[in-house]
Amino acid sequence: MNTFLKYSLRFIALMFIQTLILNQLELGWGIQLMVYPLLLVLLPFDIDTIPLMGIAFLLGFGIDAMSNTYGLHTSSIVLLAYMRPIIYKMYAPRDGYENFADGNIYEMGTRWFVFVYGSMLIIHHLWFFTMEIFRITDFFFIMQKTLLSLPLSFILSLLVQALFVAKPKER
Amino acid sequence: MRNLIAFFRRFRIFLIFVVLQILALSTYFTFLQYPRAQYLTTAGAIQGKIMETEYELTKHFNLARTNDLLQKENIKLRERDPQSFRRLQHNLVRIEDTLYKQQYQYLPATVLNSTVTKRNNYFTLNIGSVNGIKRGMGVFSDKGVVGIIHNVSPHFSVVKSVLTENINIDVMMEDLGLFGLLKWDGRDPRRGSISGITNDVKIKKWTKVVTRGGAGIFPRGLPVGVVEKTKAVEGKPLWDVVLLFSEDYRSLQRVYVIKNLMKEEQNKLESQIPVDKEE
Repeated sequence: MNTFLKYSLRFIALMFIQTLILNQLELGWGIQLMVYPLLLVLLPFDIDTIPLMGIAFLLGFGIDAMSNTYGLHTSSIVLLAYMRPIIYKMYAPRDGYENFADGNIYEMGTRWFVFVYGSMLIIHHLWFFTMEIFRITDFFFIMQKTLLSLPLSFILSLLVQALFVAKPKER
Repeated sequence: MRNLIAFFRRFRIFLIFVVLQILALSTYFTFLQYPRAQYLTTAGAIQGKIMETEYELTKHFNLARTNDLLQKENIKLRERDPQSFRRLQHNLVRIEDTLYKQQYQYLPATVLNSTVTKRNNYFTLNIGSVNGIKRGMGVFSDKGVVGIIHNVSPHFSVVKSVLTENINIDVMMEDLGLFGLLKWDGRDPRRGSISGITNDVKIKKWTKVVTRGGAGIFPRGLPVGVVEKTKAVEGKPLWDVVLLFSEDYRSLQRVYVIKNLMKEEQNKLESQIPVDKEE
């Protein structure tokens, strides 16, 4: 498949999953499911940080416009796009990323994915809920929201990946 | 000059990052107070269409319950219909009643999209400025207040719901007449609080709380909820009243928008109050 088309489809699919399904779910206890950070992992490794931040901005903007959050999603996803090269460098495999297309779990292995995507989600959720509540006295509420949403978002991201990312054929 | 250019080249990623962050966060924090553009909210044309399609798909999930509620309300109204009264005197002359003049009109609307778990929750309605909706009108359902219109496009509107930080609707205890402002702390969509009630009055549990109607947005006496418990505010002679909303905002579908026909008159009169000048 054309690479550009493939990544555009992932962009659109994640945006609509987030706005039309996940943002409509109200689970209580402050849980909010967010899988759109997955896009950053599913974009190619050789993309530069500035275009990456541009794509992230567009994605966040689209989600914000459809869920009345006015820039909250944009802010957290742009932060994550900025952090991506730093996190990638921390967990780089021995031979670098040259032989890989993008960071999906089938290509990079479970261990790498758990570490990289896990730390990305932690940063994203913390920033998101801190900005949403924006009050020091509600620190424990921010923590509660983050810690409850994190595992669920992570599991859901695995499921979304199983749905939308094709397993590479055995070589 | 060369140094400056070198600096920008070296830190260009960080600078672009900062610019994007400022853009995103400034819209977030200003939009909570002053909405400007419609295309950023679900009142926008494209988003509205998407929400409408989604509502068409999911509206049947609550159909039985919604029908029940509508039927109950119909019964209430039918009981007030002249047909349900027996005439006791036949020879009265009918005259035009000038004692009452209509002040509030109600426009029915449907909630297309809503959230309850965020810090600030907004609801999208399927009517807009074409139907006569303006910013600042009140919204309520058959069980209680819902919010205030925040942003309007030709065919859709966004309601700033009771479940937001600065909603500040003026409410009062029904039989005591005490009044305060409605607040929401962002945790439980079933419970809110009332601030500004002095603690020299004992407040019974399950006292009914209704709107005060001071600002002319809501008529007086719309239900809001009941008092669940009162806590003392530390260091101030005030009660922090915890309120159980009478409406369950998690399954809200049918609402009414309030049009106050005498709002202009009230505003005009109140604008003549001289403003206190700082000495």
